[in-house]
Amino acid sequence: MRAAASLRWRVLLLLALTAVVPTVIVGVLAISRARADVESEVERGALAHIRALGAALDGTLQDARRTVELAAATWADQPDGEREAQLLLKRLRRNVPIVSALSILDADGTLKYGDAVPDGVDAGSHSFGGYIGDVRRTNGRTIVNLVVQARGRTGELMGVFLATLDLGFVRDVVAAARLGRGARVVVVDGTGVPVATSDGRPLTETSLAGKDPAVDRALASSIEGTLATGGWVSAYRNLSSYQSSRGVRWAILHQQPEADAYALARRTTRDTLLVGGIALALALALGALVATLLTRPLEALARRADAIAAGGADDGPPIRGPGEIGVLGQRIDEMAKRVAERTELQQALARGDRLASVGVMSAQVAHEINNPLTTVLGYAKLLQEDKPEGHPDRAGLELIASEAERMKSIVGSLLEYARAPRQSEQQMKPVELASPETCQPAAVVRHVATLLGPQLKKGRTTLVTDMASDAAVTIDAHALQQVLVNLVQNALQAMSDGGTITIASSPAPGAVATTITVADTGPGIPAQHRTKVFDPFFTTKDAGVGTGLGLAVSKHLVATAGGSIEVGDGPNGTGAEFRLVIPNAGTV
Amino acid sequence: MCLLACGGGDDASAPAGPPIRFLHTFGAEETELFNAIVVERRLTVESSLVPFARGQQVISAILAGGTDCPDLMRIDATWLPGLRTAGYLAPVPADLAARDWTPEAKGLVASAWRSNDQLFAVPQTVDGLVVVRDSSRPAPASPAITDVVAAARATKTPSSPYPLGVRVDGYWFVPWLRAEGGELRPTGIGDVGAVVALEKFAALYGDVASPPPPSGTEAPDELRRWNAHELAYWITGPWQLGALRDRDRLAITPLAHAPRGGQVLVVPTCARAPAEGWRLAAELTDTPALARFAAAFATVPTRESALASSPPLVRALYEALKSAEPLPRAVNTPLLFDDLNPALAAAVARDATPTEAIDGVRHGWHRLTRGEGHP
Repeated sequence: MRAAASLRWRVLLLLALTAVVPTVIVGVLAISRARADVESEVERGALAHIRALGAALDGTLQDARRTVELAAATWADQPDGEREAQLLLKRLRRNVPIVSALSILDADGTLKYGDAVPDGVDAGSHSFGGYIGDVRRTNGRTIVNLVVQARGRTGELMGVFLATLDLGFVRDVVAAARLGRGARVVVVDGTGVPVATSDGRPLTETSLAGKDPAVDRALASSIEGTLATGGWVSAYRNLSSYQSSRGVRWAILHQQPEADAYALARRTTRDTLLVGGIALALALALGALVATLLTRPLEALARRADAIAAGGADDGPPIRGPGEIGVLGQRIDEMAKRVAERTELQQALARGDRLASVGVMSAQVAHEINNPLTTVLGYAKLLQEDKPEGHPDRAGLELIASEAERMKSIVGSLLEYARAPRQSEQQMKPVELASPETCQPAAVVRHVATLLGPQLKKGRTTLVTDMASDAAVTIDAHALQQVLVNLVQNALQAMSDGGTITIASSPAPGAVATTITVADTGPGIPAQHRTKVFDPFFTTKDAGVGTGLGLAVSKHLVATAGGSIEVGDGPNGTGAEFRLVIPNAGTV
Repeated sequence: MCLLACGGGDDASAPAGPPIRFLHTFGAEETELFNAIVVERRLTVESSLVPFARGQQVISAILAGGTDCPDLMRIDATWLPGLRTAGYLAPVPADLAARDWTPEAKGLVASAWRSNDQLFAVPQTVDGLVVVRDSSRPAPASPAITDVVAAARATKTPSSPYPLGVRVDGYWFVPWLRAEGGELRPTGIGDVGAVVALEKFAALYGDVASPPPPSGTEAPDELRRWNAHELAYWITGPWQLGALRDRDRLAITPLAHAPRGGQVLVVPTCARAPAEGWRLAAELTDTPALARFAAAFATVPTRESALASSPPLVRALYEALKSAEPLPRAVNTPLLFDDLNPALAAAVARDATPTEAIDGVRHGWHRLTRGEGHP
C-alpha cells in the first residue's frame, strides 16, 4: 500500500511539476507583467496629462514671447522713434493679455520707454535670446519677468524689452485640470518654488527642491519621467518655454497617492489572484481525482502483485482500467491464475511425493502391523468365544476385537493409498470390462451399485444412476470403482436418515472428457471445508467412524488418471455433489 | 503631502553623508554616465545642469552671492579668466596637479594653472574644431580652410549640393577670422580682415554649406544630415561625435587656425566642502573615468594614461587638435559671442552686409570694453 500511496503522490507531484508549477510561474509572470503594464499605463496617462497641460502653458508663453520678440526686432530697426515705440508698447499690452508691465531699455540698460524696471532684473546685453526669470509674488499675483533682446538688422544689440507676465493663466490651466482621486498638479519654477497648484492651497516662497524627490528630478537634466517614492507616484515634465535666469527649466508635476494611482492595478491583481487561485485549486482537485483514477487500477495491480509475491491465491475481482492499464490488469490476472495453477500443481506434486513416501512407509508399517493385529484379533475373538454370555471379561474382549477391526481397516486404507499411485502394479481386477488403463464408467457404476446394495438398503438410501455418456475413460476400473465406493459411502454416512444418491455421467464440454457426478441429499459440505476435504486425514466424522483418507485417496486416483475432482452444492442447492472430470480414452 | 513633507532621496541604498553640490555642463547622455560613476564610487552628489549659453553669468551670479555655492563646477575653459580674476576659484591640491596631464590639457588651464605657485583648475576634457569626413572621401590637400572648402566643393552633386557642414556661430567663424589676420579680441577683431573673413564665411552658405536651420536646431540638423550622408566634410568638435551611430566610418583631419578649448573642474572659494569637491574632481579625472567618457562620447581625455587606452577615433581627435589654438584668455572672451553670433546670422541671411555686421560687432565689443551695460 505504501508503494501505491507513493505512486499516487508521485503522480500528484508530477502533475504539480508539469502543470501547476509552470502555470503558477507563468501566472505570476503574467500578473506581474499585467500589473507593470497597468502601472505603466497609469504613469503614461499622468505623463500625457501633464504633456497636454504643459503644451497649453508653453503655448501661451511662447505666443507672448514671440510677440514680444517680433516687436523687439521691429523696434530695433528704428529705435529712435518715441511715438512709434509708445504705439508698439500699447499694441503689445493689448495683444498680449498676460503682460502686466512692459519696458524698453537701451543697449546700456537704461530705461527708454514704458514701465519702471523692477529691482533685481538682469537685463544684461549678454543674454542672447532672452530668458524667463524666477517667479515672484506681488500683491497676491504670481508674476515673472521676460527679457528679450532687441537686435537690429545687422545683429547689433539696440536694446532690451522687459515684460512682466501675470501667471494667473498658469493657475487657471492647472485648476481646470480633471484629475483622478487624490491627484494634484503642481507647477514649479527653476528654483523649485511652486507657481500654481491644482488644489488651490496657498502658495509660499519656499522651494520644494531638496524636499520632494520628484521636483529634484524634474529640475535636473531629464525632459520628463515618472517617479514612485514615499507613497506617491509623480510624473514630471520640463516646460520648454520656461527657463529661469539660472538656465533651469520650470516643471509641471502630476502627483497622486500610490494607493489611488495604482488602485486599478491592485484590484486587477487581487481579482486575478483570486480567480487564478480558485482555478488552480480546482485544477489540483481535478488532478488529484485523475491521479486517484489513474492509480487505483495500479494499486489493485500492486496489491495483486503483493499477493502473488506472498504466495496468495489469485482471488479477488478482475482488475479493470482504461487502456494499457486494463490490458496490464488482464495480464496480471492471467499471470496470477497461471501462478496459482502452477503453485497448486507444485503443491500437488509435493503432496503427491509426500503421500507417496507416506504410502510406502505406511505399506511397510501396515504390513508389519497387519500380522500382529490379525493375531490380536484372532485371540480376542477366541477368548470372547470362550467366555459365556454375561462374563465380565466379555465386554472388554469385544472392545479389543472391535478396535482391532478398526485398526485393520485403517491399515487396509493405508495399503490402498500406497498402492494407488502404482497403477501399473495393480493386481486387483474386480471387473474385466476394458483395457487396464481405461474403463466404461457405466459398467463400473453398475458394479458399485451391486457392491453397495446392502449398505444402501440398510441406510434407507436410494441409488439413482443416469449414465448419459457411454465413452470409455482413461482410468483404471478398479480405481474408478474405489473412488465411487468412497463417494457413495461418504454420502451414506452423511445421510443418517436416508435419502437419495445420484450417480450421473455426461460428456464434458468439448467431448474430450466425461463428467461423473455423485450427488446426495444430505446436509452438504460447509464452504470452509470444501478446500480441505481432499486433504489426507481430514474428516468431520465422529472419532472412530472415518480415517480421513477416503477422499484424499479418491483425488489422488483421479489426478493420477489426468482428471479432476471438485466438490460443490447439490443440484438444487441442497446436499453435496462431487464432480469428476476424467479424460476420454483416445484423447490423452 | 509629498510636496511638502517628502525626504530628499528615494534611494535607500544611496551612500550616506552630505551631498557634494556639483554644477556641470554635461549633456543629457553624459549626465547618465556621470550618474553611473557617482553610484559606482558610492558618492553622494547633488548635481545641477548649467546651460552653456549663459553659464558664465549664472555661475558668476551664484558665486557673487556666496551663500549658495557648489562644491565643484565643470565649466568651459573660456570662463576661467573671468572667475579667476574675480577671485572665485580655490587652488588645486598638489596631488591632483601632479597627475600625468597632456600638454594640451595643461595649456587649456594655462591662464589659471599657476598664480603665485597655485593651481586653480583641473582639465577634464579637451575639445575644439576639426574636420570630420567619411573615410571613403579623400582627405583635404591641407588643413587650410581653402583646401577643406575645395575638397567639399569637389564632392558636390545634384543630390548633395551642400557637402560642407559648418555652423553659423562665432566659434566656427574663428578659423576664417584668424586666416585673415583677425582674432577674437574686443580690440583686435580687425576691420578689413574681419570683413573679408565674414564675406568668405557668409559666402559658404548656399554654395557648399546649406542655409542655416532655425536657431536652436543646429546640432540635430547636422546629425541628421551626416547620418543621411549629405555631409562629406564636417567641421565640428568631439561633442558631436558621441551621438553618431557609425563612428567607424569617420576620418579626422586638423583644421588650420581652429580654436581649441575644453571643460575644466574648479572648486569655488565659497564651497561648503571644498575637500569633497576636489575628491569628486579626482574621481572624474582618474584614468578609468576619463577612458569611459572617451569610449562613450569620443571626448578627448586630459591624461596620458587615459589617452593611451582610448579608442583610435579619440586619439585621432587628439592628434588633430594639437595644431588648434586656444582662444584668447581674456575675461570678456565668452561675452564676445553674444554680439558676434547675431552679426554672423545677419550676414549669412543677407540682412546685413559683412561690413555692417562687423560694425555692429565692433560697437558691442566696444561697449564691453567700456564696461557699459549690465555685467
